[in-house]
Amino acid sequence: MTSLVKSRLIKFLLSLIIVLIAVLIIIFNLKDNIIYFYGPTELLKNSDKQGQIMRLGGLVSVDSVQNETDSIFYFNITDGDNEIEVKYEGILPNLFAEDKGVVVEGVYMNDGRFIANKVLAKHDENYMPPEVIETLKKSGKWQGE
Amino acid sequence: MSLYIFYISNFLLLLCLTASLMQSSKIINNKIFTRPGVIVLASVQLISILLSFLILIYLFLISDFNFDLVYFNSHSEKPLIYKFSGVWGNHEGSMLLWILILVLFNFLFALSKRISERFKDITVAVQSIMIFGFVAFLFFLSNPFALNQNNFFDGIGLNPILQDPLLAIHPPVLYVGYVGFSLVFSLAIAGLITKKVDQQWASIVKPWVFSAWAFLTAGIALGSFWAYYELGWGGYWFWDPVENASLMPWIAATALIHCVLILQKRNVMQSWTIILAILTFSLSLVGTFLVRSGILNSVHTFASDPGRGLFILLFIFLILAFSFSLFAYNSEKINKTSSMGLISRGTGIQLNNWLLITILTIVFLGTMYPLATDLLLNKSLTVGPKYYSTTIAPIIILFLFFMFISPRLGWNDTKLYKIIIQLRYLIITSLTITLIISLYFELFNLTEILIIFFSLLLIISSMTASINFNKQNILVRTNLGQNLAHAGFGILMMAAVSNAVYSEERIYNAKVGDNLQLQKYIFSFDKIEQVEKSNYNSLKAYFQMKKDGKLIDTFTPEIRFYSNPPTITSEASILHKFFSDVYLVMNVPQDQQSISVRMHIKPFMTILWLGTLMIIIGGIISASIRIGRFDEK
Repeated sequence: MTSLVKSRLIKFLLSLIIVLIAVLIIIFNLKDNIIYFYGPTELLKNSDKQGQIMRLGGLVSVDSVQNETDSIFYFNITDGDNEIEVKYEGILPNLFAEDKGVVVEGVYMNDGRFIANKVLAKHDENYMPPEVIETLKKSGKWQGE
Repeated sequence: MSLYIFYISNFLLLLCLTASLMQSSKIINNKIFTRPGVIVLASVQLISILLSFLILIYLFLISDFNFDLVYFNSHSEKPLIYKFSGVWGNHEGSMLLWILILVLFNFLFALSKRISERFKDITVAVQSIMIFGFVAFLFFLSNPFALNQNNFFDGIGLNPILQDPLLAIHPPVLYVGYVGFSLVFSLAIAGLITKKVDQQWASIVKPWVFSAWAFLTAGIALGSFWAYYELGWGGYWFWDPVENASLMPWIAATALIHCVLILQKRNVMQSWTIILAILTFSLSLVGTFLVRSGILNSVHTFASDPGRGLFILLFIFLILAFSFSLFAYNSEKINKTSSMGLISRGTGIQLNNWLLITILTIVFLGTMYPLATDLLLNKSLTVGPKYYSTTIAPIIILFLFFMFISPRLGWNDTKLYKIIIQLRYLIITSLTITLIISLYFELFNLTEILIIFFSLLLIISSMTASINFNKQNILVRTNLGQNLAHAGFGILMMAAVSNAVYSEERIYNAKVGDNLQLQKYIFSFDKIEQVEKSNYNSLKAYFQMKKDGKLIDTFTPEIRFYSNPPTITSEASILHKFFSDVYLVMNVPQDQQSISVRMHIKPFMTILWLGTLMIIIGGIISASIRIGRFDEK
């Protein structure tokens, strides 16, 4: 090997190692910040997920929305098979309504209740989050195309 | 009538296809193909697309619902400006706009002088191959002039969230940025084919790459500004996949413009510059079309159709495969080894290039990871915004440092300690200000403190560097564009960090007559009224903001109820002050008595936009100055 090729090889290997380390650091950081999405049935199956931040999606069950005070709400999220009770403190988005799709972000508590700190706002009345469609399809309740 | 328009417009598209095919054949160096000249054919390409675009605008303005596109995306009662902007508020129309900009760049480049005939031919030919591809895609797979057989009385309407003056200009500006890089890509390919990527090549590329970059910056800023006041969440950047899709080409392009400069000054880093040019354009394609393909799920996505995504992916793959094999074949011949000092401006720029690529990788992984798990493991997940901020922040510190020090170094080996001694007053000043800020605001997070410190260094250093006096004590302006943009970036970073730390939010349920408090301000809820407009009805609340009993401003947050298509939007009411914004949004009342209102104090927003504006203006200045002034050896 000529010295030029040698030095190039060393440079190449060195940068490869640096890049690998950087990617590993990035991926570890990524793992810590991942928020999984579940439907009610899926979440009940994965009861070991309690205490983690996650997203839950489905339809708001009919006649389930209640408010304790002006800004504390209770409602159930359903995929047709199972329901999970959600507690949320804050402002409900404009398009939040019973029997419409919804995605909430928060923690699944060990008493089986979901404490949401975010209700994700969507703008189109006909819009259904793809995850919710997926959830409804899994439970056979999806009526769209 | 509609039938005639249908034939004419499709004829125009075919005309452009033919002209582009003839233009593309110029890649072969033969008399048969090089005639007629580039300018004649480029004019045909431009005029045919321009006419079909004007026809499409006309169809939207007269609301001809015989055309599918108008039927699905317009409504006769829509205000004129939104009939107009509705032209590109959908897939087919925005595609046509994209192509229009593509042929416009092609035409402008064909007009440019002092470029060798052969080089120009090849560049225009490469550009025309792309024009051909996209026009063919438009014609066969997403024809904007498709007719329907029904006599629809009225259209479906444009999504009201898109009915906004800012969003009418956001796509065109962003597209000029994206498409500008297509020409840079063509120039890179032409450079590879002619095996001449040198200082002269860099000076040809420079104005194009800088203007594309300035437009892309402006496009991203407009989108961010729109999200800030229209989405009503009080934020300006959400690390949403679509935002990331526009940020990725910007990061690559930022690295690219600096490489073009080094290439122009020192004739080094030829290969790397070419790789960046290819990368930037590929990411621009991803930016435009991944958004449109519906693969990315986001608040910004509209008019999605997964089927079309495949064509784009294939196209991107072909471009990458072709250009990288050409690169592998010719790269040895374009590289000229010339030396660069170890501690020099070039090294600083190179290091920052690496940092930019690292940031790009972070954004790319964060954006693509959910896509990959969804496709491969069928598992939905999101990457939280914290991933981006915590991973990128430490890199930004280093990046700011090199941004500050590099312009102070010469192109040849420089003694670092001499420079630091030279800059001692500057460093001491920044250190003092940082100390005062962190003590006064009780800021004890090391990352935040360091970002503020290096931003300050960068701002002060760039600003003082742009004010230079020559021996006769006359003000000379050196590198105004660079210094303005660099200072702007420092201001942007400082404002972003402070904004993240000091934003405050309060949520209230309010009845008329209530007094609500946020920091030192009192908001009294005066009244609520219903307003009827031509395309929506709205509920408008009136709040008087008082400080120490004195009236400062009246806020009127609004909820709009659109009927075509039925949608509800919240309009934020914002008071822009120099040091902080006060931001009010209301939501649909939960009951008849009260409304929910969210109040934010968003510090430094005006300064943040100002920093962004400085970056854009800096880019425009650098694009328009032919030769950089820094020629010290």
